[in-house]
Amino acid sequence: MIFHNYLYRLKCIVRDRTMMFWSMLFPILLATLFNMAFSNISSAEIFSKINVGIVDNSEYRENTFFVNSLKSVSGEGERDLFEVKYISKDEGDKLLEDGKIEGYIYFDDGIKLVVKKSGMNQAVLKGFVDDYNQTLSTIKTIYGKNPSMDQSKLMSSISNRIDYLKEVPVSKSSPDSIVTYFYALIAMACLYGGFLGLKEVMAIQADMTAQGARLNMAPVHKLKLFASSMLAAATIQLIIIFILIAYLVLILKINFGSQLGYILLTCVMGSITGVSFGTFIAIIVKKSEGVKLGVMIGVTMLLSFFSGMMYDKIKYIISTNVPILSYLNPVSLIADCFYSLYYYDTHSKFFIDIILLCGHNIVFALITYSVIRRQKYASL
Amino acid sequence: MVIKVKNLVKRYGDLTALDHLNLEVNEGEIFGLLGPNGSGKTTAINCILSLLKFDEGTIEIYGKPMSPDAYDIKRNIGVIMQNVAVFEELNVVENINYFCGLYVSDKDKRRKLVDEAIDFVGLNDFRKFYPKKLSGGLLRRLNIACGIAHKPKLIILDEPTVAVDPQSRNNILEGILKLNKAGSTIVYTSHYMEEVERICTRIAIIDKGKIIATGTNDELKGMINSGEKITVEIIKIDDRILDDIRSLPNIVSVELNGNLLVAKSDRGKNNLLPLLDYLKSKDIAFGKIYSEPPTLNDVFLEITGKELRD
Repeated sequence: MIFHNYLYRLKCIVRDRTMMFWSMLFPILLATLFNMAFSNISSAEIFSKINVGIVDNSEYRENTFFVNSLKSVSGEGERDLFEVKYISKDEGDKLLEDGKIEGYIYFDDGIKLVVKKSGMNQAVLKGFVDDYNQTLSTIKTIYGKNPSMDQSKLMSSISNRIDYLKEVPVSKSSPDSIVTYFYALIAMACLYGGFLGLKEVMAIQADMTAQGARLNMAPVHKLKLFASSMLAAATIQLIIIFILIAYLVLILKINFGSQLGYILLTCVMGSITGVSFGTFIAIIVKKSEGVKLGVMIGVTMLLSFFSGMMYDKIKYIISTNVPILSYLNPVSLIADCFYSLYYYDTHSKFFIDIILLCGHNIVFALITYSVIRRQKYASL
Repeated sequence: MVIKVKNLVKRYGDLTALDHLNLEVNEGEIFGLLGPNGSGKTTAINCILSLLKFDEGTIEIYGKPMSPDAYDIKRNIGVIMQNVAVFEELNVVENINYFCGLYVSDKDKRRKLVDEAIDFVGLNDFRKFYPKKLSGGLLRRLNIACGIAHKPKLIILDEPTVAVDPQSRNNILEGILKLNKAGSTIVYTSHYMEEVERICTRIAIIDKGKIIATGTNDELKGMINSGEKITVEIIKIDDRILDDIRSLPNIVSVELNGNLLVAKSDRGKNNLLPLLDYLKSKDIAFGKIYSEPPTLNDVFLEITGKELRD
């Protein structure tokens, strides 16, 4: 009887095209749009070599220190700062006007830098010129006071920079704000399992649908009907989440780290949470199906917003100002599970989130069953 | 005794939907529950099926108190709801198989029952159709098939022919008679007196949550004073003639509705000839003549003062 109901509920869920669109296709569409939007942000952060012009006059050629300094930071290598063009002054003005170079340097009784606008590249050029002037002044001062000093040793000592700071990463992965959006998206998709939960509760409740009335007349215990229906919903939801994650990893190349077992556990808990959340909405909203669905969508969107799906900073704002909300928000908890698997070396935060999700599930399921186990109704 | 309902009371706030309702259904009969919309038919059925809470009274089915977890009783009941209760995502075969499977776990036996149910309601040509592709009448037939596939001993039909085409309605009524012949006890609720008169062996008339009369078709009609209703098409008639007709033996009321003279008689026989003789004697020309025996609507009208279809 349980398996019979489970099989038929699977069929009913899978053949509901509207539900399949919202639960499965919509998150995939959203992920695709996210990827298209965020790929531009990523490319904007990559450093490109700065196009600079050098006026190749006699004073420039005599200034070997500058020539060597410039050679050390320009060329074909990936770590080089500048892409150098040797030009005349007039050519320099024209190229600057056309935007082909960010600035040009010429020597005329000292080093001169010409730029057209201010920006990051112009700041880098100025920084380079300032650094050259400062180093030159240091050399002149030291050599002026110690003329007998070995020039090559002095140059070598000035050129050597000692780093007194060292970057120590706090996590095994480097921070990536974009991946937060995708975690929130998966969490939202998990909570969309609520549509399935809502549908299943309505199907077995006599005061909600005629089909529920007929099912209540069958010689089957309500708990068996409820359990097998929820199992069917959770099964479908889990498959949907796996498809979404496969799409994110294999097609969109989003990195989730390598802890497959824990990721699967998160998917299972997330799916069950979504379904149980839907059943909870179905029984506490005492209105028509349309209103229940509207509440379901609204609440899911709100919880997704608070978990950082639309604005990643909101998650930080809530966790610092109203941390209890983070623990009560199932979308935030699910997203946090992925986040902690990706960034942290230990699993303590992960398991805290999983336990909290279990708590949510138990509360939702208990409240739902305490209402639906009632088999006689005040009105139909 | 299959169903025994005693002093059933159901209130919705200040409204008393069922007011000390009593009824009994015997094995093997087709019991009709006839009443206008809002009289309490569906409420009574839902209380009997333990879907609705009630305030007072007792309900027994097959000699045992009915409750939501009386699974041994539920196993023998088939219900056809007023609203079509099938799943849009399953086709005809799947719907029937799904519901039948909640009663019959043996797959082979169930397959046979499903085929018989489809054959019974005449949906063989529509086995793979989904509910949204079926007409209203065919959908009602599917609704019935889902309720009777497991061959229950007691079948309750709550207004199964609402918004159904005449062919499907006829099919449904014939089907109910066949089910009864095969041994099922039927409870049939409706506000269509023609259906109840046609198929029910015993009828209870309900109004405002109370049973106002119970009996066979003839017994109910025998309770009232109204007898034959004669309608005569006439050209012209004045009030003096109407008074004369009123004083004819066995005529209890006379009305002139346009060009139709409607005369109601009491339970006496041979009411038509004296009326026609009188009209001939006065040289009053007349056209078509209709004679109707009393209907359940007349029974309802006499007892409550209103029509069944009000």
